[in-house]
Amino acid sequence: MTVIETGQPAGAPIPQPPPARQVVRQVARATFEGTPGRMRSYGAFVVLGCLVFGLFAFIAASSRASALSSARSDAAQLVRIQAIRTNLVFADANLTNAFLVGGLEPPAARSAYQEGIATASTTLAEASGVSAQDAAVLANVNDVVTQYTGLVESARANNRIGYPLGAAYLRQATQLLRTDALPPLEDLVKTEQARIADSYSGSAHAVYWLVIGLLAALGILLFTQIWLAGRTHRLLNLPLVTASAAVIVVGVVLVATMAWSQSKANHTRSNAYFATVELATARIDAFDAKSAESLTLISRGSGQAYDQSFNSLARNATMILNDAADQGGADEQAAKTAFAAYQSVHQQIRAEDDRGNWDGAVALATGGKATDANAVFGTFDTASAKALGQRSAQLRNDLSTARAPLTLLAWIALIVGVAAAVTSIRGISLRLREYR
Amino acid sequence: MKKLLLTGTLTAAAAALVAGCSAGSTPTLPSAPAPSSSAAPSPSPTPTRAGCNNNDNTRVESYAPSGPLPAPGDFRGSTMEKIRDKGKITVGVSADNLLFGFRNPITGQLEGFDIDMVNEVAHAIFGEDIKGKVEYRVENFAQRIPDLRSGRVDLVADIMTINCMRWSQIAFSTEYFHAGQQVLVRKNSPYTDVGQLNGRKVCTATGSTGSQNLTSLYPKVVQVHVANISDCMVLFQQGSVEGIVSDNTVLSGFASQDPYARIAGDQFTKEPYGLGIPAENVDFVRFVNALLQDMRTDGRWATIYRRWLPAPVPNPPPAVYGRALP
Repeated sequence: MTVIETGQPAGAPIPQPPPARQVVRQVARATFEGTPGRMRSYGAFVVLGCLVFGLFAFIAASSRASALSSARSDAAQLVRIQAIRTNLVFADANLTNAFLVGGLEPPAARSAYQEGIATASTTLAEASGVSAQDAAVLANVNDVVTQYTGLVESARANNRIGYPLGAAYLRQATQLLRTDALPPLEDLVKTEQARIADSYSGSAHAVYWLVIGLLAALGILLFTQIWLAGRTHRLLNLPLVTASAAVIVVGVVLVATMAWSQSKANHTRSNAYFATVELATARIDAFDAKSAESLTLISRGSGQAYDQSFNSLARNATMILNDAADQGGADEQAAKTAFAAYQSVHQQIRAEDDRGNWDGAVALATGGKATDANAVFGTFDTASAKALGQRSAQLRNDLSTARAPLTLLAWIALIVGVAAAVTSIRGISLRLREYR
Repeated sequence: MKKLLLTGTLTAAAAALVAGCSAGSTPTLPSAPAPSSSAAPSPSPTPTRAGCNNNDNTRVESYAPSGPLPAPGDFRGSTMEKIRDKGKITVGVSADNLLFGFRNPITGQLEGFDIDMVNEVAHAIFGEDIKGKVEYRVENFAQRIPDLRSGRVDLVADIMTINCMRWSQIAFSTEYFHAGQQVLVRKNSPYTDVGQLNGRKVCTATGSTGSQNLTSLYPKVVQVHVANISDCMVLFQQGSVEGIVSDNTVLSGFASQDPYARIAGDQFTKEPYGLGIPAENVDFVRFVNALLQDMRTDGRWATIYRRWLPAPVPNPPPAVYGRALP
């Protein structure tokens, strides 16, 4: 064993103050040369390793948590935009149906129209407040909705005086909604879906950083302990063992939690998220189809385009509702049954109209009986709204659940990393002290 | 001489129209053409179908009736019998043309001069009870000829102008109403004639004679086309177009729905209206012509006119026959 001379020999002439660089080199040599020096070197690596673990684990867990939280807020925004679309087509369906009745519109239809527009406007304001990215598109949609309601009021005013010009205003209004308000919202839904997909995949690699930090810290800890055992003939260094154990426990728990969180999030994506998007789409298509039914009758024999539009919308809604019923609960089943019932009423309406009984068709489409289109469609509306409400609440909860432990564990990992580093310093200095 | 007289009458009618509109919401309409009680067959020969592809609307000759109007049910082997057997007559009409074919917003039912004409045809085929026997197909102008050619409708009663090009595709009854085209402008605008709207936006319906007339007579006017003529009125009220060119029958309907609109200038075309019928149903054309002739003489035509248009009731447009049977 070499002993390092640290003092100056007595009586030597006082040397010139050495240049600063030389002093540093001397101190470094004194610190890191020989066995105690190596101990200090390994100690430094161990400390670094523990800190890196703490930091990497913190970054990995918190970036995953923030990704899930942005997925959650993107999903909430998606739900809002779908709600705007739904309320607009809901209002339009009530409007066109009321128009079909002729004369004074039924108060219930009028208030349903107003409620739809009011909810759409509030949700528009809310959605553009939440996302600066969406604000421009939403402001545009808001303008179109204002124009739409203006045209609708012109239609009403003309109608009340008995002017057929009201029909032209109504046609303009429904067309404006379908060309200038609904398509940008549909695009926004796609954008939001892409954002959610980004959030899902964006920090999927975070877990690798955690594993790298964990392996690095454990490797250095293990190597140092084996080396120390060889040099000092003491098998265990309690502080280092404690630090290793803490790193292993926290690391493994964190890896497991992240894996669980990921699988929970993936499960949510293919269940509650998917169901939320699909159910909202089914509702939008259904209301749109209901409008198309009224517009077909208003066009009185030249509404083929509206009728085709009804068929493709209803087909799409049926497909989605069948899938939803297969995977969902009682409400999805009820929604599916109610929509099928509505479609059979629609068939009757078409049959009446096609055989020339327009008045009979209108009576079925606007009547107040439980077997008439409005009541049957109302059953679908209630059931599908309930199913959608449950699914979107589930989506919110699932994403919160998947995120909640990550935030806490991120901080725990950081603290444990620092604590392990401190403990390791203690462990190394114990051996250093013994060495003197 | 006859032409001069006609123009004079029409100008007077136009002036009356403007005055009527400014007075308020009373529907105003030009009177029918020069008084003429002569229903004598026109001696002029029928133009051949081939080679006729212009908008000449002076040739209003239709097929002469084969005899007096047969009683309902007495139609062996005819188009009328087919319609009767089918149980309903399918008719192309407008729903947005106040006074002629419109959906009454209060009752939701179709009403107007053209609808009354349809009802008369239905009575002639089905007798007293025609409830549920008339199937209306609300059409825009561009759909009328394709629907007649495909047999989707048996009859079109939709302020349809008789002209040479259309005669090469479908058949018409004799003239049952005489209108002309004018322009609708804002009340405070300086325009007194369509020609002053050069470079301005003017709205017409796709496939209408208004669009064709503007192109040939006023090519410098910027045309805006819409599917339904009433969409023009929405654009007009929103200020996107300066004027609307259409038949004065349509325009006076618009003007009575908007106190800030007026009809300007003279009629720059003649628009003789006929009921459109598929070209091959010659027997039906002759049947309808016999009915129209009865209506002209027994006062039914005047009753319908009085119901929808302001007094005085003019003489009905004379029947002109002489078109050779195909």
